[in-house]
Amino acid sequence: MLEISHLYKKYLNSERFSVEDLSLKLNPGEIFGFLGQNGAGKSTTIKCLTGIYPFNSGKITICGYDIARDPINAKLNMGYVPDNHSVYEKLTGREYVNYTADLYKVSKRDRNERFDKYVSQFKLTKAVDTQIKSYSHGMKQKICIIAALIHNPKLWVLDEPMMGLDHQSMAEILKRMDDHCADGNTVFFSSHNLDLVAKICDRAAIIKDGKLQDVIDLHVKGNKETLEKRFVEITATEQDRINDQTLLRRGQ
Amino acid sequence: MNGNIRTLLRLEIKNRFSNYSVSDYKSYFRLFGTLVLLAAVIYAIYWAAGLFFDMFDTGGLLYEALVLLVSVIFLFMLFAGITSTIKVLYYKGDNEILMRYPVSGTEVFISKTLFLFLTQFFATAIIMAPFLVAYAEVSGLGAAFYAKIPIPILFLVFITFFLSNILAIPIMHLTNKIRNKFALIIIGLAVLVTAAFAVYMLLFNSMVTFMNDREFSVFSDSMVEIIENVAKWLIPMKYFADVMVGHELYIAYPVLIGLTGITLIGTIMVIYFLYAKTLLNNVEVEGSAFKHVTGNRRRPVFVTLMHKEFLQVFRSVNYSFQYFVLACAMPVMVFFCNNITRELGQNQVGEQISLGMSMLVMLIFATVITSFSATSTSREGDNFYHTKVAPVSIRTQLFAKFVMYLIVSVIANAICVGVLIGSEQVAVSNGLWLFAVVEMCSVGLTLVSMRMDIARPYFNLSGEGEVVNNNASTTFSVALGFAVALTVGILCMFLSYIGSLETPIALAFGTFTLTFDMRFMYILVTALAGAFFVVSVLIYTIGLKKAYNKIAK
Repeated sequence: MLEISHLYKKYLNSERFSVEDLSLKLNPGEIFGFLGQNGAGKSTTIKCLTGIYPFNSGKITICGYDIARDPINAKLNMGYVPDNHSVYEKLTGREYVNYTADLYKVSKRDRNERFDKYVSQFKLTKAVDTQIKSYSHGMKQKICIIAALIHNPKLWVLDEPMMGLDHQSMAEILKRMDDHCADGNTVFFSSHNLDLVAKICDRAAIIKDGKLQDVIDLHVKGNKETLEKRFVEITATEQDRINDQTLLRRGQ
Repeated sequence: MNGNIRTLLRLEIKNRFSNYSVSDYKSYFRLFGTLVLLAAVIYAIYWAAGLFFDMFDTGGLLYEALVLLVSVIFLFMLFAGITSTIKVLYYKGDNEILMRYPVSGTEVFISKTLFLFLTQFFATAIIMAPFLVAYAEVSGLGAAFYAKIPIPILFLVFITFFLSNILAIPIMHLTNKIRNKFALIIIGLAVLVTAAFAVYMLLFNSMVTFMNDREFSVFSDSMVEIIENVAKWLIPMKYFADVMVGHELYIAYPVLIGLTGITLIGTIMVIYFLYAKTLLNNVEVEGSAFKHVTGNRRRPVFVTLMHKEFLQVFRSVNYSFQYFVLACAMPVMVFFCNNITRELGQNQVGEQISLGMSMLVMLIFATVITSFSATSTSREGDNFYHTKVAPVSIRTQLFAKFVMYLIVSVIANAICVGVLIGSEQVAVSNGLWLFAVVEMCSVGLTLVSMRMDIARPYFNLSGEGEVVNNNASTTFSVALGFAVALTVGILCMFLSYIGSLETPIALAFGTFTLTFDMRFMYILVTALAGAFFVVSVLIYTIGLKKAYNKIAK
């Protein structure tokens, strides 16, 4: 479904690689969590695989299509939800989703069916014909998700999808992720929320300083429970450990 | 004055004039530059005002000229006052920030009102001064006139200030009502811009005619009668002029005093009954989003890209004004400018250069319109990622933008040429040729502008997601457009002049003789525009994909 091999990415004017020798393979029907601290390289990796950033070397294929050589076919199989929920705010929700559906050449019947389903699932029925600029943070996130799913992508990529969302909205998105995978598709998302990743993901990868540190199968007994410990072992600095001790003391 | 009010007032002034702090040598330099520019503008206004009053004086309409001028300034100050009042008094974000400080609502209100009054006072004084000095010189009223000036200026400041306070809330409601009627706004603005430009050009034309012969009036008898009648009915504006020249003071003073009292009472009532309510109801931002109920609609990829691009411009008053409104007003502007430049040119050199003049004028206006394409990528702002993740090639996406610019440019240029042909300013064949050359240059400019923006986009957008400042590409685009207009226009004028000599110049190169006749002019100018077009296409195409992929937003 998604295969990243030996990905290297360095920003202009930067001395170090933001992503270094990263290789990953995602299978159909799985939810894959991508973990790492701020600046670890999660968003950069996602931006490379969605075609937003060019990369220095390596290969990324989506459903067998190379993002660098055959970007159109690769992108046709992917839906992307950004971390900043940026959308064309002068359009109405419906206009925005239709614009995306047109780009992905979704048939009239499919778009009507999916549009009605998602709009009602995300409780946007009343707002969908209003300009997006009047939407709240969560509503913008939801319209981004609907637009990303309108072509029923085989690979659904989300960058920090739960940031700033209320419990209800998070539950709606998790349900949608689960349903999407049940149809044999793949979900790849980055997050800081270890509990959430442990709860919903089939596998999770931990990245630090641009390098992939570990890929954990969460179906293996005990891995869900030890995910946080493993994450801290990999990513924590001495200062983080001191901070954790302080938090523990205050908790007692 | 209360300490808090003084601090808040100082904060308001600092906030408004933050660009002109005097912290380092650069800021001193900037301030000095601004002051020099301001002085130059004031002097230019004084000079033009002198000519204006002189022209009306020759026609025996000096008093009427003063009434007209005071009326324009009154309306301008009222408009500026209403805009400032809405921005300063009712802008929610600003009030929210201020209310976090340990100050009372009354103190915030008083400091803001003081700021508004001071700006209204200084703006009125600065705007009025050069006109009144010029009037005193032309009328010969001298010291007596200067002694009377402060009184009407004070009346003007108070009345416009109070009226602005009364009208701000209804205007906000009206703006909310029409905010999303985009077609109506574009048509209204186009009519307004065109009318203002037409009045300006008519006045300019009259002044140019007057400058050529100052002995004769440029006004016909019927025109004199119309101006006299209009000035008589410009109430209450004529009373300001009456006070200045000591005319019918027994009516003027009571009217102005009465008006000041009534508007003051109106202001107090608005503030007492409506100010807090308006702030709490958040009227300033009410209705900024609209509802547009449609069904799901499928469009071909290229059409949907163009449709989105069109809506992004059409649904923004700023962008619509910069682009659609100017494109709509362009034919009228070209007609007036062309008329004047042709007259000037004919008087100076001869009829032969009129085609080149038309070319120059059209190219200058085409430049202004096409410079909008210099923000085609920057305008994407935070949505830039859409262009990268969409399963549509970058070339197709950019081509959709280009086609929209092309359609606007073709329509605007075609209407311009139609107007020039219809008004017999150019012959049909010349008109068609003019269209072809200007369109080639417009397309070239559009492509270069788009490419410049791709090379160096500037994603600095305001809260509404719109480009706040024009980027360097816009400046470059305008400069290039003017350079092309001057080169092509002047070449056309020069070669037309040479080509229409009784004995055309001929140069022999062996067996080949090059004759500088009109045919040569058409060929050379077309070739120059064609060369610019080809070079622009190459500049746009070469390395496009690589440059676009390099943009990291």
